[in-house]
Amino acid sequence: MSIAKLTFLTVKIVFVHDHREDFSCCESVWLTLHKKREELKLMKRKVLSITMLLILSLVFTGCGNQSNDSAQNSSDTIKVGALFNQTGDQASLDVPGLNGFQMAADEINANGGVLGKEIEVIAIDGKTDQNVCANGASKMVDVDKVMAICGLADSNYALAAGSIAQKANVLFLTSGATLPELPDQVGDYFFLVPFGDNIQAYAGAEFVASDLSAKTAYMLTDKGMDYTMTLAKFFKERFNEINGADSILLEDSYQTADVDFSAQIERLKGLKVQPDVLYVASDPSKCGVIVKQMRDRGITQPIIGGDGYDTPLLTELGGEGANHDVYFTTHASLENPSEKVQNFVSTYKETYGHEAENAFAALGYDGMYLIADAITRADSADSAAVRDALLVTEGFDGVTGKISYTDGNRVPNKSVTILTVEDGTFKFVKEVLPE
Amino acid sequence: MNGNYLLQQLINGLGLGSVYALIAIGYSIVYGILRLINFAHGDILMIGVYAGFAVVMVMHAPFLLALIIAMGVAALMGVLLERVAYRPLRYATEEATMITSLAVSIFIENLGIMTVSAQPKPFRVPEYLSVIHNWGQVSVSNMTLLIISLTIVLLLVLVLFVTRTNLGIAMRACADNLNAARLMGININVVVSVTFAIGSALAAVGGLMLAGQYGRIDPLMGFIPGLKAFIAAVIGGIGSIGGAALGGFILGLAEILLVGLLPPAFSPYRDAFVFVILILVLLVRPSGLLGTGEGRRS
Amino acid sequence: MLNQRDKKLTLVSLVLLALVLFSLNQFLPGYYLRIINLIGINIILVASLNLTNGFTGVFSLGHAGFMAVGAYTSALLTVPIAQKASLLPDLPLWLMNIQLPFAVALLAAGIMAAICAVIIGFPVLRLRGHYLAVATLGFLVIIKVLLTNLDDFTRGARGISGLPGITNSWWVYGTMVITLYVLWRFLHSSYGRGIMALRDDDVAAQALGVNITNHKLMSFCIGAFFAGVGGALWGDLITVISPNFFSFNQTFLLVEMSVIGGMGSLTGAVVGASLMTILPELLRNLEGGISLMGVTLPPLYGLSQLILAVLVILVLIFRPQGIMGRWEFSWKHFKKHNKEEI
Repeated sequence: MSIAKLTFLTVKIVFVHDHREDFSCCESVWLTLHKKREELKLMKRKVLSITMLLILSLVFTGCGNQSNDSAQNSSDTIKVGALFNQTGDQASLDVPGLNGFQMAADEINANGGVLGKEIEVIAIDGKTDQNVCANGASKMVDVDKVMAICGLADSNYALAAGSIAQKANVLFLTSGATLPELPDQVGDYFFLVPFGDNIQAYAGAEFVASDLSAKTAYMLTDKGMDYTMTLAKFFKERFNEINGADSILLEDSYQTADVDFSAQIERLKGLKVQPDVLYVASDPSKCGVIVKQMRDRGITQPIIGGDGYDTPLLTELGGEGANHDVYFTTHASLENPSEKVQNFVSTYKETYGHEAENAFAALGYDGMYLIADAITRADSADSAAVRDALLVTEGFDGVTGKISYTDGNRVPNKSVTILTVEDGTFKFVKEVLPE
Repeated sequence: MNGNYLLQQLINGLGLGSVYALIAIGYSIVYGILRLINFAHGDILMIGVYAGFAVVMVMHAPFLLALIIAMGVAALMGVLLERVAYRPLRYATEEATMITSLAVSIFIENLGIMTVSAQPKPFRVPEYLSVIHNWGQVSVSNMTLLIISLTIVLLLVLVLFVTRTNLGIAMRACADNLNAARLMGININVVVSVTFAIGSALAAVGGLMLAGQYGRIDPLMGFIPGLKAFIAAVIGGIGSIGGAALGGFILGLAEILLVGLLPPAFSPYRDAFVFVILILVLLVRPSGLLGTGEGRRS
Repeated sequence: MLNQRDKKLTLVSLVLLALVLFSLNQFLPGYYLRIINLIGINIILVASLNLTNGFTGVFSLGHAGFMAVGAYTSALLTVPIAQKASLLPDLPLWLMNIQLPFAVALLAAGIMAAICAVIIGFPVLRLRGHYLAVATLGFLVIIKVLLTNLDDFTRGARGISGLPGITNSWWVYGTMVITLYVLWRFLHSSYGRGIMALRDDDVAAQALGVNITNHKLMSFCIGAFFAGVGGALWGDLITVISPNFFSFNQTFLLVEMSVIGGMGSLTGAVVGASLMTILPELLRNLEGGISLMGVTLPPLYGLSQLILAVLVILVLIFRPQGIMGRWEFSWKHFKKHNKEEI
């Protein structure tokens, strides 16, 4: 130890001292600088302490307020957690989700609540961060004592939050994650509001094979997302079943952060035999860009995708290109004249000042009504009883179609809607019912 | 794989590389003077692009005006940011200033989400920019041509600025030795402000090009290009303008060419390949391609 | 290096820590325990980061990469065999039929991370400053790309779920105490003196016989080892891991904790990690739309990040060297203090 210390000290004395000498020529400058910095420091100290005080007091009033609220309301409300990523990468999906969820809760409360009690929505921002999502779910379960949680369009985050709810036997409905194996992975309190990706990818494959009489296909997949990977996997599975093992001519991929697809497009153009259709499994923010870049570079085959396409971005970013033979499978057609759908469309516009951004708004909306419906049927707000009631939901009439959980399956049995784009708006093509 | 295909990929790579180069220059010149890695650079770019977007969408102004507005707003933001967040920390360690810039970045991004919403917005460029020329098998859009030529022009202007004007020479003097420059009577604060203004304005051009080419903008759009530009600046030798440009072009070309030339089975590994190449470059030239010295102030 | 009195004091405080943990485990709801565990894990991660970034002056941005290696290693070793068969049907047989005790898995996680550190560190550690930072950031990207694409081992972007969730306060704080003790011993060994000499002036240190590569690699490996262990604990706490979780943000968050606390101090790691774990949770209360003096504010998501960012900037303007700087906790301070009082 002593040798090491000596080494250290020698180093300091010999070399650090030398460095100081370099600066001695500009001593006066350093002195004035030093003085200025000291003054600045004092001022900063004041500013900092005041800010700290302010923030701390704010934080504590925040805490105080919350505990008061929960103490007052615990008996006469039913607490439901809304865990959506309001900030970060996932915000464009989850903000509409929470909007829809909150809107449904407000509607229910305006109509007298459930079982005579008001629904109290405890909303927490997941921040597109696994820690925050897990902590948030934990807080809802342990501190706020919610009976159910709804939210999270991304399966990774839904898994993290869902396992916490599962451990506490609290119901978890994911408003947007469509990975069909999620419920089995998490446990018996985990439900999907949307259909599983297998259903919509199968529907997509069957649609192109029958209605577009496609014999061969090209696939482009986002390699960074479970959602797109699953879509691609199931599309390929069904398309191969229909058209034989060699019917996929090229499987290409990109990474989530990519914005330039020229390399992939060049590869597609380089194919000797051109495919009949292009299955592009992408997320909402990329589909329009890909469609535009493909059409701009003279690729004319029909493009088909999943529910990620169901956003105004497809037409806004895809521009003119999106009007030519672009089809996608999705949850609902907002043109549907049924009262339920039209009520949702108009109320959403009234409440938030613009039309629903994407299907996740409708899914969040249906999520809340599914919970309320199960509570009513269970005649109790106990999580286990509600779970049992939810499990036998039959023909629930939602904005995103008729929802049933059949045979203990926690992925709903739902119809798949196929839409296309005409003159910049979505047009209904057909509705496919899974067998 | 024929010559045309390769040429096409080269042009695409040059387009992407130009964008990285424009953004990387801002990193590099700021670092040269202040030894500050400004992670908020990409977010200033975002603010500039949103300003340009507002001008195009709301006032239906010509694209050129949007470009100028975006540059102006970004420059202003850069100067403001330096004044508010970085100047109090001018003598702090590099790590402290780096974390400050990260915090600024988080601040701007979240403020963006809160004010303009997280929904991506479509960004359309005028028709004349989306015209595509087909030369043989090679197709190039006016946008790509504009990006590449604008980058070259701006680079030339910048080089002329730092070599021919008093302010530019003062900038280089500050980069060389901040304290000696101060003793020579150079007003450091002015020089630093000008540096931030130039860097941010160039980044805004890069951002607008990115938005124009890909057609969408969102409050988080600056982060990844910003990070890549930082990497480009480091590869080129951080602190050097030419190095930043070179690094940007190399990074852009590497990304596009690797996707284009690798078999599809390997294209998911592209980012890994890019970084392996970059690490190899650094091992051969530990101070970046055009960097001098050891990248820290004695 | 501890005298008799200091040893006693340390022992007493350890017992106290255990007692506090025990009572907290009895009374607190799961959520608070979770935060407490997260603090412990972050302390492990930040302390190991401080070893490389603060004490050795090797500014690494690859810490989340080592976390990922550790988390995946321990996940593959601890996930129940039945679950593995359904999640990862393509695993090699030897890996499929293996389920190890958590302690062994943690050790393996650390060792795997350390091996990665040797592989990446050997070429890269000759770089300096930002060049090194970019190279280590590259390591993180490469690890993420590999995790996303090695479907047979990692299930790609879908991630591995169903980690057994063994992590509790005892595991976390036990590991934390061991980590801090090992790091403390290391820093006070000749190696530790050597790396600090390197940080302050590498030429001088070299002249005095400090082997640069050797020392840097050593500290890089030890840092990576504990990052791996911390990552394993963290993965097991969340019970789900996916390549997305080991993001740039995760790395930057750890660096932020380290700089805020003070990079050249283990005490700083403890302070920085605790502060930056608790504050976001506290600040969250402001977001959900609070009613202040009869006025109800609408929910403002993003507000907590804004406030936290401003706080970080203020702390750094105020104390650029971090809250603790290079100050280290020691019983000696108390002794001096007492004497003065008397």
